[in-house]
Amino acid sequence: MTFTFILLGIGVLSAHHSGTMFDPTKVKEISGTVKEFQWKNPHVWIQLYVQNGGRQEEWSIEGGSPNTLSRNGWRPSTFAPGASVSIKVNPMKDGSAGGQFIGAKFADGRTIGNWDRD
Amino acid sequence: MKCASALVVALLLPVGANAQTLPDWSGAWQMIGPTVFDMATVEPKNGRAGDPGVREHPPYTAEYEAIYAKNIDAIRTGTFPDPISTCGVPHGMPRAFNVPDAYEFAVTPQQVWMITENGPGIVRIYTDGRQHPRAEDRWGTYTGDNLGRWDGDTLVIDSISMKGWTEKDEIVDRTGIVLSPDAHVVTRLRRTDANTMEAQITVDDPKSLTKSWSVTKRYRHLPAGTRVYDYACGENNRNPISETGRTLTLGSDGKPLDKVTR
Repeated sequence: MTFTFILLGIGVLSAHHSGTMFDPTKVKEISGTVKEFQWKNPHVWIQLYVQNGGRQEEWSIEGGSPNTLSRNGWRPSTFAPGASVSIKVNPMKDGSAGGQFIGAKFADGRTIGNWDRD
Repeated sequence: MKCASALVVALLLPVGANAQTLPDWSGAWQMIGPTVFDMATVEPKNGRAGDPGVREHPPYTAEYEAIYAKNIDAIRTGTFPDPISTCGVPHGMPRAFNVPDAYEFAVTPQQVWMITENGPGIVRIYTDGRQHPRAEDRWGTYTGDNLGRWDGDTLVIDSISMKGWTEKDEIVDRTGIVLSPDAHVVTRLRRTDANTMEAQITVDDPKSLTKSWSVTKRYRHLPAGTRVYDYACGENNRNPISETGRTLTLGSDGKPLDKVTR
């Protein structure tokens, strides 16, 4: 089964803090295994293990509020620990292992968010 | 006896309001568009509040244009703090009309409550005919003092006594727009069709503006049965503000990911 959830507008990710740490002009794709999905306010966070040159990094990927995301099809189980997933983010400007969520594609082909954005 | 009961009911109703004629604003709503306050003047046209260089054009006085320019520079360097990032203060007025997540409007004969899921926040609008407190009996608060009167199905909200920028902790949006504590906001709020609410917001502020500033915000009705949830901003706030106003990003271990933390 293939399904796609589309976030409704950029306001979805505009929540309680400034986003100046993220670079909105860059899109970075990272692939890895979900360590943890923090389904909490004010923002959800996906903790993702990513292999980088034989070394494991942990990425922190910030999404919108669980409230609005839930109304767009997200659930606490959306990013299950251990799941393989590719995620597109606006990366942190300083090169740290973090970013703002854009879209994700799971191993079975399902996508969520604005995965088609380049 | 019937006449006496009717008289009692009539006396309990506020001036200009009638429980039978109050509009139906039930359900949940969501602002249409991003959190730029004045989309009509934003540059660039698709600019997002908080992105470097994005600005609007309120009819600012020279003093407040200079404050705005300073705030825009602080955004460029990532040191413009958003007060609500501390997870403890309301959005305030008129910013409460400019936030993401769901809105609810509880309409009663005596008060209208505008409830924002984000924050969470509540704006109390008194429609019972009372007046604003005397100057010596009021002080600046984030949401100020809000009186409402019904003009047909339009709620006309008169807002004064907001904190403003004096204490550097009340902003209008994340491009750096601020107002003075003397701001006077009049909002005409109405349901324009089954799926749309509209707020026509007019700001007068002798300290910050050279003339009235009018902005229109719209809200779409969310599907019937939509639930609204706790926002609980402090539940897992991984974006604290540093002492220099920088918004940090914490890793799952609670330590900043940022390479610059001051």
